[in-house]
Amino acid sequence: MASVKALDGVFGVTPTSAGSKTRELVYMAFFVTDHATHFYALGGPDFIVGPDAPPSERNILGVVRKVGLDIGKQVIDCRARNHHIIKMLGGRGVHPTAGQPGGWSKPVSEEERKEIEEIARKNIDFALFSLKAFDDIVLKNPQYLELVTSDIYLHKTYYMGTVDEKNRPNFFDGMVRVVDPEGKELMKYHPSEYTKHIAEHVESWTYLKYPYLKKIGWKGFVDGMDSGVYAATPLARLNVADSMATPKAQEHYERFYATFGSKKINGRYQPVHHRLATHWARLIELLYAAEHMLELATDPEITSPDVRTIPTSIKGEGVGCVEAPRGTLTHHYITDDRGVITKANLIVATTNNYAVMTMSIKRAAEKLITKGKIVEEGILNRIEMAFRLYDPCLSCATHSLPGKMPMTVNIRKSDGEVIRSFKRG
Amino acid sequence: MKTIVIGLGNPILTDDSVGIKIARELKARLSNDCEGVEIVELYAGGIRLIDVLAGYDKAIIVDAMLTGEHKPGTIHRFSSTNLTSTRNAMSMHDLDLPGALELGRMLGIRLPEDFRIWGIEADDVETFSEELTHQVACSVRPVVEEVMEELLTLTQYI
Repeated sequence: MASVKALDGVFGVTPTSAGSKTRELVYMAFFVTDHATHFYALGGPDFIVGPDAPPSERNILGVVRKVGLDIGKQVIDCRARNHHIIKMLGGRGVHPTAGQPGGWSKPVSEEERKEIEEIARKNIDFALFSLKAFDDIVLKNPQYLELVTSDIYLHKTYYMGTVDEKNRPNFFDGMVRVVDPEGKELMKYHPSEYTKHIAEHVESWTYLKYPYLKKIGWKGFVDGMDSGVYAATPLARLNVADSMATPKAQEHYERFYATFGSKKINGRYQPVHHRLATHWARLIELLYAAEHMLELATDPEITSPDVRTIPTSIKGEGVGCVEAPRGTLTHHYITDDRGVITKANLIVATTNNYAVMTMSIKRAAEKLITKGKIVEEGILNRIEMAFRLYDPCLSCATHSLPGKMPMTVNIRKSDGEVIRSFKRG
Repeated sequence: MKTIVIGLGNPILTDDSVGIKIARELKARLSNDCEGVEIVELYAGGIRLIDVLAGYDKAIIVDAMLTGEHKPGTIHRFSSTNLTSTRNAMSMHDLDLPGALELGRMLGIRLPEDFRIWGIEADDVETFSEELTHQVACSVRPVVEEVMEELLTLTQYI
């Protein structure tokens, strides 16, 4: 979606209203299936199966064994019905082909609309069911609740997310809002102005760059008001918002902040900084996406045949931005006079979070390895959890292809000598 | 009898696309009235396989694999009885192929009992390219012939 929105800019064309809504409808179906998969198959094992379980059990099979077949069936059904919509409207289940500069390649038929409406209603039920499961399994389990609310993965950083005109999260379009660690708005800008506000720090030991807020500056891997490190995640999107745009998601948003004891200041909640709360925020977003999908499916304009504005010129530059499931995603293309891309810059969702991921891993190390003592039980799992809450698969986010999740933790003496190693994969 | 043929891989990562290319070749070769056989391209394994395999009696999967022990282009063959994870079927996002099958069956989803898997030893699966390396490209035709022969034994429609 970010790519096709960037192409709107390249070809200097504004999508028709129906074309834009069709894109957004497909995107909500994608959000539902992606958030469901991330929570149950990829992040859920950390809570539901537990951080001390062996890796062979910390997967969706382990989740299903623990919570029962019904949840497993619901997850598979949810994925299948939403992939069906993506394929039906987008042409393909992965890498849809129907997005075109100026809109969408085909309109939604009334028959398709009715099917999508029914699926959207099922998605809302599934989201509510998932939030109930989170409530029963995590919030009512003192051990897991302590894990979520402990300071092991706590960072008081800036937060970024796209909001609508009422400062409510909007995954598809809007202005990028950044708030400080106390929740005060630092800035709000149009995505096309991202280079004015975001810079990238480079470290010699990694090829992935560290984006930071220009206005604050790079001060290293530290949190606080003076550090330009920010997070762009489901938790961040809730933290930058004044409220949610749909009623059921709003109810859960209120409960979320109440659970963490956040106070309202100037009409909005103080940010929650506990990073494991990201999984809960993800479920609230799942509910929002399902509710908004229903709004779009019942919008009278959604079946309009006017789904595309045909481009007539080549402007040569475009920036497209959406909220991807893991965070703010920006595509920036520059083309020649034939519309062929000559330069491209992408800030992929997880890239935004690389600094906080690094800090979470460091924090886990500090908590697990102190004063000559090592908490050996589940050390690899707990370090893995530190980045899995941002992205289930860092190697995919960085386009590295080891094909498995190798992990090595080296314990060093203060002079650098390795005294213990923990390995997996 | 319903049979699905899945070409698995990433179409823009050099040899990783060999399964996709073989699926396209098979689609071109099969007659239009080949009822009961569906050929699909799939770009991700793991749980996604459950969605695609549901409701079929037999499955044929063609994928690139990297053992590092054989020359590029070497053709590996597996069946339901010696099912082994291939690199792509072993999606690190979630589950490998045996795990996906176990999950599907645990949930009562009707999945194929009979599997035939062709794995083609890859040389390069990291460079962005839609072209196969030479030795892997040479394996396309023999695999297509073998799969066609397999389909012939499975169906009466070819």
